Amino acid sequence: MRSARLHFPLVLAGLVIWLVLMVVLSLSWGQMAIPFSHVADSLQTGMGLGTAGQALPNEDAVIWHIRLPRTLVGFLTGAGLAAAGVALQGLFANPLVDPGIIGVSSGASVGAIAAIASGLTAVSLFALPLCALIGALLAMSLTVALAWRHSRIPVLTLLLAGVVVGMFLAAATALILTAVNESKMQEYLFWTIGGLDYRRWEHVFLAAGPISLSVVIMCLLARQLNILALGETEAKAVGLPVTRSRLLFLLLAATATAAAVSISGNIGFVGLVVPHMMRMLIGPDHRRLLPASVIAGGAFLLLCDTAGRVLLTGTEIRVGIMTAFVGTPYFLYLLHRQQRME
Amino acid sequence: MEQCLLMVRKLQAGYDRRQVLQDISFAMGSGELVGLIGPNGAGKSTLLKAIRGLMPAEGEVCIAGRRLGDYGPQELARTMAYLPQQSKVPFAFTVEQVVLMGRSPYLRWWQRESGRDRQIAAACMDYMAVRGLAAMPLNSLSGGQRQRVLLAKVLAQQTPLLLLDEPASGLDLFYQEELFRFCRDICAAGRSVLLVVHDLSLAARFCSRLLLLGKGRLLADGVPAEVLTAEWLSEAYGVPVQVGFHPVTGHADIYTERQGKRQGMLPGQGEAETQ
Repeated sequence: MRSARLHFPLVLAGLVIWLVLMVVLSLSWGQMAIPFSHVADSLQTGMGLGTAGQALPNEDAVIWHIRLPRTLVGFLTGAGLAAAGVALQGLFANPLVDPGIIGVSSGASVGAIAAIASGLTAVSLFALPLCALIGALLAMSLTVALAWRHSRIPVLTLLLAGVVVGMFLAAATALILTAVNESKMQEYLFWTIGGLDYRRWEHVFLAAGPISLSVVIMCLLARQLNILALGETEAKAVGLPVTRSRLLFLLLAATATAAAVSISGNIGFVGLVVPHMMRMLIGPDHRRLLPASVIAGGAFLLLCDTAGRVLLTGTEIRVGIMTAFVGTPYFLYLLHRQQRME
Repeated sequence: MEQCLLMVRKLQAGYDRRQVLQDISFAMGSGELVGLIGPNGAGKSTLLKAIRGLMPAEGEVCIAGRRLGDYGPQELARTMAYLPQQSKVPFAFTVEQVVLMGRSPYLRWWQRESGRDRQIAAACMDYMAVRGLAAMPLNSLSGGQRQRVLLAKVLAQQTPLLLLDEPASGLDLFYQEELFRFCRDICAAGRSVLLVVHDLSLAARFCSRLLLLGKGRLLADGVPAEVLTAEWLSEAYGVPVQVGFHPVTGHADIYTERQGKRQGMLPGQGEAETQ
């Protein structure tokens, strides 16, 4: 019996401590180890709060030009993917749904390969993220349009439409890939694995707006998400305009996912495992689940990224690989535990 | 004519090209406990859904003198509560969380449940004797407990009219009767209940009025003794139906008779006989 859920403020406090720890570690660890005191001093100096004069100039440069943007991109990506996962799992009333389900990830891939193939990536740093964003939102619109029936969006049809759109777009990506040269193929491969290396402040600024906006709106509407989870009939019976709410949550989830994927490539498992993990800790009420998953998603991604940087000397394991390596065994463990309890 | 709580006139509804309900007209006042009876596929559930506006229908449905289409979604949910035949609650939502969802029609999109909403939910849980289960996940409860929780949710909507689709299905003998006593009590308190019933003798005992549906039409409408006759029931169910009344309790005793011998035989049965 899991009726004795952990106290919510306690869990939230624990998650915040975990997040702060991960932020500090991700700034301190890496090819060049920087002591915690220097990290703190450098942050303090950079924010204009006076200096203790401890951090060396090259440490300052590493923190402010390399690690901080990387850490922020990591947090935004993890938070956005986890929030989108919570919203979609609630909307589909299915804990096995992940943000890729409505065709967003494959749409982003088409956008990315299109930007690479056309040579736009050489023109501007923003070309790839913007094309990925547009591709993701178009794919989501296509999925919803296919599922639309008499001003209703039946979730099962939506699920099938998402799968179909995903397969079609994967084929489109493959078609473009066969036509490009080897270096462009390499560039795409690098993007599609998902990584946080060479992220710059531009990436932070590009994604911060859409991700925080959709996360805040989702948290405000979390009570509606509880009701949506009960299914169309129940939700209508208590007066919720179901189609409108579903559309809104689909749009918010797609925006958060698209923004996350556009700045760091396809990163799996965060949107699937983190909501699941948090639901086991604090229960299904989305007013708690959403904020908890946002923090945990950010912290989880930083954990994977930092671990990927320090596990092997001389090279780093990209974060998209790490999330899968950490996420898969954990997810199998969760499934096993759940089966045992039923 | 006094203003009716619910008025249905020339209602038609169906799925895709299949017409399920034809020309249904009736009216319901406050305090009535109306049982909707009829064979499987007669359109009982469809009628409830059409009245609640959950499926497209032609004809007219008026609640308290206003047409269904003039109500906003939340306003409608404050007027009519609806308990579906099967409701699946996903995840481990607790009893209290589910009952509180019944307060949703009173909340704007940014609002959380107030102390008053919690009081009302607690009172409804008390009334259905599930307050002690408030912190339990709904999915861990037995069928009878679940049904009482879902009724508490419907009750928390504080509507003058309740539409219940087979609320007694899956309940044991005691809870079936308990459910009808509950309906009778809230009707005595001025609410109205329209519910789908399969057990005709329970319907006869507790309902103030019965509507008999057969093949999508309203065949009979009146007090139980008028509706539960061999003629009407035989027509609705398409087989001869016998109606008697128990000499001691006075309860209706209804059963069907088969016509003719059963066609065909069980696989394996014939071989044994021929050997």
